[in-house]
Amino acid sequence: MALKRREFLKASAAAAAAASIGVTLMPGMEKKVFASSITWHKSVCRFCGVGCGVMIGKKGDKVVAVKGDLENSINKGHLCVKAFYLHKIVYAKTRLLHPMIKKNGKFQQVSWDEALDYVAKKFNEIRKKYGPDALAFYGSGQAETEETYMANKLFKGCIGTNNVEGNPRLCMASAVGGYLTSFGKDEPAGTYDDIEKAELFLLVGTNTAEAHPIVFERIMRHKNKNPDVKIIIIDPRKTPTDQVADLHLFPKPGWDLAILHAMARIIIKEGYADEEFIKAHVNFRDNKKAMTFEEYKQFLEKYTPEYASKISGVPPDQIVKAARMFGQAKTAMSMWTMGLNQRTRGVWANNLVTNLHLITGKIGIPGCDSFSLTGQPNACGGVREGGGLCHLLPGHRLVKNAKHREEVAKVWGVPVSNIQPKPGKHTVAMFDALNKGEIKGIYIMCTNPAQSLPNASKYWKGLKEQFVVVAESFFPTATTKYADVVLPAAFWSEKEGVYGCTERRSQYMEKVIEPQGEARWDAFILRDLAMKMGFKKEFQKYKTGEDIWSEYISLTKGTDMDLSGATYRRLKKVRGLRWPVVSEDHPGTYKRYTKGDPLFDALPEEKKKGRRMYFYGKPDGKAIVWARPDKGPEEPTDAEYPLALSTGRVLEHWHTRTMTGTVPELNRAVPKAYVEINPEDAKKLGISDKDQVYVETRRGKLKIEARVIDRPKPGTIFIPWHWDEWMANVLTIDAFDPGSKEPEYKVCAARVRKA
Amino acid sequence: MRSGYSSFFIILLAFIVAVSLAGNLTAAEKKADKHPDVDFSISCVECHTEVTPKAVQEWKSSKHGMMNFGCYMCHGDGQEDFAARPGSDRCIACHSGQEVDFSKTPVKNCFDCHQGHTLKFHQGD
Repeated sequence: MALKRREFLKASAAAAAAASIGVTLMPGMEKKVFASSITWHKSVCRFCGVGCGVMIGKKGDKVVAVKGDLENSINKGHLCVKAFYLHKIVYAKTRLLHPMIKKNGKFQQVSWDEALDYVAKKFNEIRKKYGPDALAFYGSGQAETEETYMANKLFKGCIGTNNVEGNPRLCMASAVGGYLTSFGKDEPAGTYDDIEKAELFLLVGTNTAEAHPIVFERIMRHKNKNPDVKIIIIDPRKTPTDQVADLHLFPKPGWDLAILHAMARIIIKEGYADEEFIKAHVNFRDNKKAMTFEEYKQFLEKYTPEYASKISGVPPDQIVKAARMFGQAKTAMSMWTMGLNQRTRGVWANNLVTNLHLITGKIGIPGCDSFSLTGQPNACGGVREGGGLCHLLPGHRLVKNAKHREEVAKVWGVPVSNIQPKPGKHTVAMFDALNKGEIKGIYIMCTNPAQSLPNASKYWKGLKEQFVVVAESFFPTATTKYADVVLPAAFWSEKEGVYGCTERRSQYMEKVIEPQGEARWDAFILRDLAMKMGFKKEFQKYKTGEDIWSEYISLTKGTDMDLSGATYRRLKKVRGLRWPVVSEDHPGTYKRYTKGDPLFDALPEEKKKGRRMYFYGKPDGKAIVWARPDKGPEEPTDAEYPLALSTGRVLEHWHTRTMTGTVPELNRAVPKAYVEINPEDAKKLGISDKDQVYVETRRGKLKIEARVIDRPKPGTIFIPWHWDEWMANVLTIDAFDPGSKEPEYKVCAARVRKA
Repeated sequence: MRSGYSSFFIILLAFIVAVSLAGNLTAAEKKADKHPDVDFSISCVECHTEVTPKAVQEWKSSKHGMMNFGCYMCHGDGQEDFAARPGSDRCIACHSGQEVDFSKTPVKNCFDCHQGHTLKFHQGD
């Protein structure tokens, strides 16, 4: 169907935001200036969790260009503006090139041997004097799976502490909690393939256009071709994602749970529920007990559109409209990210989105899924799957499970007694313990917690006082400021390894060039440190990336995330594989819990009888629809702090800007942070565009430029969080979800005054 | 008459620029452009919305503008790297598939056919 010009422009303008770059390398390019002198190498983008395939252009011994990988079905050759400059970041002036030890308050270059001997000695002293739990590891969803695997083995299996965390705790933990409680197993049932089959998209708490540009571009292309495709957004802020929304609900930040319940109520009342599906596939429960479908309906009675409107501030008719659109669409795909996850009731919010799919049966069929978008390139692969959190072991295993500990200890070649059954300290507790001196030594890899922790300044004390080792590619960062030792880490393109993205896809990245300076691969830094600490027997066998990956995937065999068929040999050829991939001749899995999923297919016939899905993480194979209370944020606005502060991203920058901040073009695009204030609020406060203002919360104060703009809804302000100089996290709250332990970055109470 | 005379010189100048850009000169061989010393703490588009509103409007309506490929992608950041009139070398970094052998064409530069700021989507593209 031909699009009307206006509709086309509307869609295109939003795609925008997607800002993708297409590269079509034509045949017969051998004499061309650009193509002839460059060899191209398959890799994956270093930024968000979408997992775009990139081709790295190498000329001589240098990385000189990046282009989208046409053969990669995720991005089909397209990239966003950040990825386009990846090759420049390799040669950033801020690359950390040598190991350094802080002596008399100043960093001094030392040899690798001196640096690692020093760290090993200090860690062993702390371990001997205060016990293993006085040490900790804090990793990253940007580290490769092999790197996280080595850290996990060293700390949990050898040192003997479960104080192993990673920054995915700060972005994905609520999604994990949501999937585990709703489906029984972590990570989405569907994949990106559902995008082109969906009739409706429910985007909740996601600025997809800027945070996941290529996913958004796929949605836009799909809508361009199929104008009947509808997009509903639930978000307190108007973003570039908004330009093609058919309906936007603007809740007060943190007050959207009632909307999701109200939508469920309307869906059931108006006959859009799939009663057959519910009967065969769903159980109901509240926080205390199981309940019947009838009792669930009773629970929902409170959630009239008017009640939800009163709680959320969204007009009742819009809630009704959203529910009807969701109910009437034949297929629907929900996507969300930090707007739901970074909440004190993030797990509940995740559950309530999934509820809509379970009551309508819009799950397990093409075009339907409740699909969490991941913020980092290997949060799913390395940390969720690799077990890089304080309660996990590799392969979706738990430290508290004796059988799991035995399985892992056997492969690691360590006594099972080394692995403690009690989870270690989660991220906020870990940095709190550092403040209190309970943790005396920490190894931080590939992340920048001094800037990225919520209520960040509170945690600088511990970083200042305890023994801090930072393995990083960039220097200085907000965190290296507090380091006693900095270890230069090889960057993207300088090391091989595997990233696992949002859609359960593991992708191999080739080492294209030698690391800058004396930088080394994090996995081997950890290996060498382990050997110096006395764990030679356990670590000397790892000579290559393949040694590590092969051992890791042997641990996934027979689990729900079976990667045993995704060998290096195979991953080097293909554009990733989506688990479960149970053997080298298995193609990977499009949909979980249903036909085509090898785990579903292997179930006895009597279990599958009368069902199209079997949620094998639950004892009876039934997913759970949760009747959760509609709790609001931890720190609601009040007379003293009347504005709700939210933080987020811009298209051109990423996380704490250690990478994008080195690219002149991206700095030129968005050179500084600002606070977005709705014109209504600005008028009341006597603030004009570009005025310097103070934003204050109960935790901190920030002087920043005002941007008076009709983006945040009245009563809400927004700050992009990337800048060290305008550190939004001195304002955010460190209250966290009691289930997922993920902090509530997305809502706190603030006030603004002219500086 | 005077106006026609000026137009002739503008066209001639444009031709000279086009030919010089087409000469396969590397970035190092070309004389680097210098961006006026301005307040670099604001973004290019923010400033140019005021100083060259027409160019910004044209960019916004173009394919590049719609896709949010900012000024910096063709012109550089303005400080470390700046090209007032970007050459074809800037184009092929993205459009490597559309690279043209100008020795076999009547035109010598991408911009002989494509006006940088006003490129539009082709409908149905």
